[in-house]
Amino acid sequence: MEALIQELKEKIIETINLEGVVPDDIEIDEQLVGGELGIDSIDVLELVLMLERDYAVVVKDRELGAKVFASLRSMAEYIQEHSPRAKG
Amino acid sequence: MRIFITGMGIISPVGNGADQTERSIRQGHSGIRPLRLFSSAALEPLPVGETDLPPTAETVPRTHHLALLAAREALGDTGRTPDAIVVGVTTGGILTTEENLKSGRKDPSAYRYHSVGSVAQYLAAELNCPGWLITVSTACSSGTVALKVAENLLRTGRAGCVLAGGADSLCRLTYFGFNSLQLIDPAGARPLDINRNGMSISEGAAMFRLEARLSVPEGALAEIHGAGLSCDAYHPAAPHPDGRGGAAAMAAAMKAAGVTSDQIDYINLHGTGTIHNDLSEAKAIHTLFRGSKPPLSSVKGAFGHSLAAAGAIEAAVCTLSLQKNLIPANVGCVTPDPALKLDPVRQVVESEVQTVLSNSFGFGGNNAAIVLGRPNGLPRSRQPAVCAPLAVTGSACITGAGTLAQTLEALSQAADCRGILGTAEISKSLSPNAVRRLQRLPRMALTLASEAQESAAAIEVPAAVVFSTGWGPLSETADILDHVTNNSEELTSPTSFVGSVHNSPAGQIAIHFQATGPNVAVAGDDSAFEQAVITAQLLAADMAGEESLLVVGADEHHEALSPLFDPSVALDDRRSDGGGALWVRKAGPASSVYIDAVFYRQAQKNPGVMSALLETTGGRERMMQCFGVLLVGMPLAQRREAEKQLAEVLSFAQGKIPVVPYREFIGEHASASAVAAVLAVECVRSGRLPVGLCDGRPVILEGKGALVVGLGKTVTALEVLAG
Repeated sequence: MEALIQELKEKIIETINLEGVVPDDIEIDEQLVGGELGIDSIDVLELVLMLERDYAVVVKDRELGAKVFASLRSMAEYIQEHSPRAKG
Repeated sequence: MRIFITGMGIISPVGNGADQTERSIRQGHSGIRPLRLFSSAALEPLPVGETDLPPTAETVPRTHHLALLAAREALGDTGRTPDAIVVGVTTGGILTTEENLKSGRKDPSAYRYHSVGSVAQYLAAELNCPGWLITVSTACSSGTVALKVAENLLRTGRAGCVLAGGADSLCRLTYFGFNSLQLIDPAGARPLDINRNGMSISEGAAMFRLEARLSVPEGALAEIHGAGLSCDAYHPAAPHPDGRGGAAAMAAAMKAAGVTSDQIDYINLHGTGTIHNDLSEAKAIHTLFRGSKPPLSSVKGAFGHSLAAAGAIEAAVCTLSLQKNLIPANVGCVTPDPALKLDPVRQVVESEVQTVLSNSFGFGGNNAAIVLGRPNGLPRSRQPAVCAPLAVTGSACITGAGTLAQTLEALSQAADCRGILGTAEISKSLSPNAVRRLQRLPRMALTLASEAQESAAAIEVPAAVVFSTGWGPLSETADILDHVTNNSEELTSPTSFVGSVHNSPAGQIAIHFQATGPNVAVAGDDSAFEQAVITAQLLAADMAGEESLLVVGADEHHEALSPLFDPSVALDDRRSDGGGALWVRKAGPASSVYIDAVFYRQAQKNPGVMSALLETTGGRERMMQCFGVLLVGMPLAQRREAEKQLAEVLSFAQGKIPVVPYREFIGEHASASAVAAVLAVECVRSGRLPVGLCDGRPVILEGKGALVVGLGKTVTALEVLAG
């Protein structure tokens, strides 16, 4: 889980091109969307693509997306539960 | 002065032609079916609205074909030939471009109908319309914005008869783009329904013949009472949650029309069926229509959302509603969402309809609304508006040499300013987080906008923003087309899709300034900026006079796409891009420089085009009196045509006015004329030309102005004169 969290922090920053943000700036239970990071609905959809591409996890609709992308922890938990290739 | 619809043509998923459309509306018929036009291995076909397009021998893209069918129906066999065309288009010939890329075609001639502006050019050639041609590309509000721009062309007397409307075909870019935004309802669009889950994208076209008259002409179908534009200045794709911009556009339309909310007999909603659009629009309706509401419905459950065509198609539906006293049903809505507190018409109703309101909203927070009435209804004659020259109070440009100051410096050193400035250099004054999702074109637009404001020493928010581009955001478009080429469309990036619409840079400018007024993007190959200037003049005609407007024109060079799409780029071994911006107002301080878009005509089948140019600019005598320099744009790919035209220009100048072929200095790109216009303003302001422009000779303007002439397929003129 720890390794996955760390990996996700890096992928989030890279995927949505967060300027001046380093992995340690993202707290595990921090509100991801609409929080201090400035992540909005379009960013969430970029993260949906990233999950599909890198973890083979599909988040089909916005309702589910709101739950999955609530925080780093919820993202990691969802991947662990649903990905055929999730890492520890 | 009154504006009438004297002809109408429509093709949509529910039928071809006005008669079939009326029958479908009466039957509550839906045209939404699983996609057949193209396929994708990764995605089950989603429900869309495909037209039943009759086969043709023409080799033009589907959008062009749709537009011509609707235009021919609108013009019929008799009646006046339009002298201008204003058409809303978002994707142009991109369906054909996608197929060309899939089959690996590298020949630029295969892409000659790619541009959104090529639809109007094709209509003009087929219908013998000399121009103005204005292509509005404000995403899903384009069709209605086009009607507004056409209305003002007529009210100001710049045209007497206009062909106006919108057209878009289905294509992979929008299909997979909206899919990436999770905005397509797998069950088909159910606008206003409690279970709605998105839109159904579709295709089609509607075109109108509009005429300016003092009294009702025979055969008039409807009257345009007024239209209103606004911008949310909130988010690139999501509507303002309180419907702020939608309410502003509706209020502006009703004010222009001189009607109050209790005089509206039917509201045709934008009603896409997405959760957020319908919520936002409902709030806007409640803001303006307190208490009981007029009958209202969205027809997108039946017609689908045909993007740039939607506003025009819905204006056609409204015209049928007025003609036949028919209120169309909100097909697809079974149980209205109680959160909306609206009661959409669920079965078609026959009831007296005198005045209707139609809404269209789009990406970039771009909103438009229009009020139409019966031609024999209450006459609401309005004073003719004036399309006046605009005073330039600030300017900026980006060239290969850098900013405006750096460009002037290069030209004064007898160097040219061709080339490409690094994206980091262009973005250096922009906040990194504000532009983290933006590629080259929106960054150029934002920098030009801020520098023009700074140059004007302005603190006010621009009351209107007009943005022009020949080819649109190519980096974002290329991201999507790469997936098309590689058969990985399901991985289309939502960020690239939202950024790929031609008006996305204009939406970014609106957010930057919090500019909630009209926000119009126009497009058209080498003369896009000329369209932007006339559009700004037409928007200013609605204003009192003290408000500022911002006009920005820009194009980016893209290594793969620019040489494919722009034949002049393909022929040049030097790559260039950039653009220009003008901060303008109707009346400026005493010493202002004024700009006026005076001429825009197609050269094809028009042998008298150059004499017409001379006549419009006041003849040889005025040319000698008023202009100290002619800046002439000759796109490389149209050199043969342009050189013949140049010979005539030289005869006007009689060897006494220096003629500067500006693309030799600025480079080959579609917004070269935007840079030329900015340079013309600077020359007139300073009273002299940088020596580099005239073979090292000093040229003093002695109070005279500059004429910026575009040659080639389209002949244009911008007058730049000291006040």
